[in-house]
Amino acid sequence: MMRFTRFLKTEVEVVVGRHVLAENDAIVFIHPSIAKVAGVKDGDTVELERKGRVVRLKAKISEIAPENGCFIPNGIYASYLADLDNFKRFKANIEVSDGEVTKVEDIMKELSKS
Amino acid sequence: MICPGCSCLCDDIEIIDNVVRNACRRGAELFLKYKENRATPRVNGKEVDVDKAIEAAIDILKDSKNPAIYGFDTTPVEVQELAVKLAEKLNTYIDDNSSFCLGDLVEIVLKKEVPTTTLDDVRDYAYVIMYWGANPYQSLSRHMSRYTYYPRGKERQKGYEEDRFLVVIDIRRSETSMLAKTNARYIIVKNDLELIDSFFKYMEGKPAKYADDVAAIIRELKKSNFNVIFGGLGLKYGLKDLKPFIDLVKKLNEISPTYFIPTGFHANMRGFNETLFEKTGFVNKYSFRENKSDKSFAFTELLKNDLIDSALIVGTDPVKSLPFEVALKLKKIKTIVIDPRNSLTSRIADVVIPSAISGIEQGGTMVRCDGVRVKLETIEEVEVNDYYVMNKILEGI
Repeated sequence: MMRFTRFLKTEVEVVVGRHVLAENDAIVFIHPSIAKVAGVKDGDTVELERKGRVVRLKAKISEIAPENGCFIPNGIYASYLADLDNFKRFKANIEVSDGEVTKVEDIMKELSKS
Repeated sequence: MICPGCSCLCDDIEIIDNVVRNACRRGAELFLKYKENRATPRVNGKEVDVDKAIEAAIDILKDSKNPAIYGFDTTPVEVQELAVKLAEKLNTYIDDNSSFCLGDLVEIVLKKEVPTTTLDDVRDYAYVIMYWGANPYQSLSRHMSRYTYYPRGKERQKGYEEDRFLVVIDIRRSETSMLAKTNARYIIVKNDLELIDSFFKYMEGKPAKYADDVAAIIRELKKSNFNVIFGGLGLKYGLKDLKPFIDLVKKLNEISPTYFIPTGFHANMRGFNETLFEKTGFVNKYSFRENKSDKSFAFTELLKNDLIDSALIVGTDPVKSLPFEVALKLKKIKTIVIDPRNSLTSRIADVVIPSAISGIEQGGTMVRCDGVRVKLETIEEVEVNDYYVMNKILEGI
């Protein structure tokens, strides 16, 4: 059955920081409060979009995320969304996605094409 | 052995029969997997011998009008000194991760704008232990157990149940904040400046947003003559200007001795800051051409503003760790990567030169986050290391 929340796009605050076990993983930690609003369940693939750039990450519902926001470990996925003025804390849009998680190779391909 | 995994530089690592004892997860992985994913010498994507790769690097630097020297936070001080020499010889820019990491916090310590102490003294004497914008659970996994909240020290024999008071200040419920239960306080802030403002207002007897938290902290500070604040990336990014924080530390010292240690960075980032500081009086983003440090000389700014045409990148992976716009710019200039491992940056580099892993395959000195100098040991020495490569490049320029 199609989930209504598939069409729900929510603006969230994203904080970027160190996470020893997940630094190379395509993962985003989502605060329970925002997961409820955005209709995200643990293990969903979610799409994060910022300034035209999109990454799809595996959602982990966790209180280590800021309230009303998400936490992404340091690494290429966070770097792909960030910019120099908003390096470790920025706003992005989040929604549940059908797609596969973004691979490092996908970002490297985009870099090599540029 | 010394663990080169982070700026704690733990000195109690034992490796017996391929079992790593005492290290944290990151440290153990370094020792157990140091032979994996190793870089090979390459020029324009083709494998060459290492001296050919070094020659190609020398050619790029010689032909370059505006090169930048960048990285070195995981290399020993002795290699960092060679990097400074090279930047001086090329009359150009030198910078490291600290320009977007904790360089500002190290600088206020080196300039003696705040009082500082060592981790050993923290373990032995500290009562109030404040982590401000730092999450040691993830960034310095053994910090709390070796030096701060959990261990017993000379004058802290009763442990955290009675002899320590932990304060965690963060914008989110970090793993460290979840440990703040017994003799502890967790403060969630939206704006670090508001908390600083609350301290001043409370001390002036005025109403303050965080009055309850501030009152509790000040009450505890008064119980001891040794307290410490560990400042992390959250503090750096939470404040546009460090002056209010410096003023706060000074004010707290009127109540009770309170020291400051910057916390949570690459193994030898402070070594880079101290090496450059001794030579130039500045900790990072320095131009030998202009004889000064400036925001515009940060590696990221040089790339953003198209001010460099080549970069020598050592022991760091900007494609992975810096915003994508930096990677896009990096691809447009000549890049030389010196790194023991294949990195994302090495995949777009014109020249890749393999090197040795500090503290495992090459020795030297590193500077712990509190400024204590530590001599590295090795498991096996390799000939092609950062000293070999940097000396060859210096000779060739």
